[in-house]
Amino acid sequence: MSNSHLFLPSGFIRTPLQNGLGRYIPQLQRITIKFCKSHGGSRGVRDFIESDLMEFAKTNPGTVVYLKPRRHRSPCMVAEYLNGEREYLSCHEFSRDEVYKWLSYMCTRSGIPVMRFRKYQHTDYPTIQGVWNPFTHQAPEINVAEFPHEVLSKPINHGPTATEQLIEIFKKTQLEDPANKPPN
Amino acid sequence: MVTQRVYGFAQGSKVCMLELRNLLCKLELGIQAYKTVLDIPAYKMVLDTVVYCSRLTAAVNVISKRNFKAHWVAPTLRELQRRKVIEEDRGGGPKIFHRSTFLEWNYDAEIFAFSNRLGEKFNDSSLRAALTHKSYIERETARLSDIGVESNLQFQDNEALAQKGGEIMSKFINGYLRAVFTQVPEELIRAMHDYLTSNPTLETVAKHIGLGDLMLCADFPCKTETYVKSFKAVVAALAESSGEERARIFVQDLVVTQLYGQDVNELWNPVDPIGNLTAILKREGKAEPEFRLIRQAGSNSILAVYYVGVYSDKNFISEGAGESLEVAKEMAAREALKKFFHTEDSMRALPFGRQLKNIQSKIAQLENQPNVPLSEWISPKIMSAVH
Repeated sequence: MSNSHLFLPSGFIRTPLQNGLGRYIPQLQRITIKFCKSHGGSRGVRDFIESDLMEFAKTNPGTVVYLKPRRHRSPCMVAEYLNGEREYLSCHEFSRDEVYKWLSYMCTRSGIPVMRFRKYQHTDYPTIQGVWNPFTHQAPEINVAEFPHEVLSKPINHGPTATEQLIEIFKKTQLEDPANKPPN
Repeated sequence: MVTQRVYGFAQGSKVCMLELRNLLCKLELGIQAYKTVLDIPAYKMVLDTVVYCSRLTAAVNVISKRNFKAHWVAPTLRELQRRKVIEEDRGGGPKIFHRSTFLEWNYDAEIFAFSNRLGEKFNDSSLRAALTHKSYIERETARLSDIGVESNLQFQDNEALAQKGGEIMSKFINGYLRAVFTQVPEELIRAMHDYLTSNPTLETVAKHIGLGDLMLCADFPCKTETYVKSFKAVVAALAESSGEERARIFVQDLVVTQLYGQDVNELWNPVDPIGNLTAILKREGKAEPEFRLIRQAGSNSILAVYYVGVYSDKNFISEGAGESLEVAKEMAAREALKKFFHTEDSMRALPFGRQLKNIQSKIAQLENQPNVPLSEWISPKIMSAVH
């Protein structure tokens, strides 16, 4: 199965400029809201501007908000991010809550395009103790051993298995009670 | 749905002006497209609408909705795209415009947002000076004198600020590196510092905090040096406005974090690791390093691997692997040095952000105190015993 037919690109989760490692910098640079002052499709946007916009601007002082009232056009938002990406969203016939929710969604994004995350974690240091290689945990004695060797030529003796131990226990109980042995 | 204003041109051909205008806006074509659009008799557009479209030339990601598009939309867009590609090739690439040429641009608001985005307070005059370049001032005075207006512009350029900013940034970076990499020789500190203050690194940082749109400079697209100069000047402006401590934290949060993910041993390696190892052990009064073959596989093949271990007085120090005995020996010596300097792959994670709260005073103290150079390096335990 290839992914060349899929439009949604895939990638690993990342953040621009190690954001959050030192300090968190909100990535939304500016947002431009275009709407019509009279048309019904912009009603939600107009309500949002009248009620929630000031609060939004105060809580996000790092984002510049531009308002562009344009006659006879449906409302839209264009978000610009610090890494140069832009995001367009048509707000036609949105309710005031929808506008608010989409706007707060845009605040939480970096400009990295939407993609399918292959993994939800990422690290630049995948190994601490070192990657395993066939020499890891090998006893140094194999270096100077002359083969055939007494110990090393034989299969590794891990000791009796659980099954063997149970059989031994059973045999012991048999020996202790020879009177109960059924005659063969 | 979009209310359709229908302008009937010929019998049977209905043109939806509103929809087409929205589509053109989304396409974001330049003035060239305006000319090509006018060529098509059926789509005579209102001038101001297209001028409004003409400024939007950056690519845009659309949060798309499910919409039904009329049958003529796709062919129209395909044709306009074809013409756009031709115009761009003729013009030498897509046209780019500075953000300040857009209708929606408020420089004061942008500067306000810049300082708030970083969570810092700047003096207005310092920040504006930090963002103004000499080339811009020269261009403006030349332009005004061409018109004939007497130019008494009161711009201050960022030359002095950039110089000062570069110095204090180097100071802060060195302080951090010496406080975190206590065991490391001064050569590696210098290599890490050079990497962090290199032009590509600083340019990336400057671009990603939004300096690209704020700088007043004559060159567009802005050169690397312009970005780097602006960033250094901003650091100096911050030191002027909020004090050196805040500037130190700023540099730690933005510049030093670029060290994360970077293997420090790729930045610098001693030229003669075996010689250096021998010298260090001699200085410490320990036995000479002894190299022994620990593992080997595939000696007669291309994929041969040899593991060589370094021992001092029969005590194991480190091991290294290589495709030949000489390479393995050198790698083992390098690993031994890494162990001494505490820069192995398994070294402690670098502290950033809030984790630096307790060592800020130590960082400030070590800013002017270089680490021991490689030629005099000995293990700190022995150093403390001697001194």
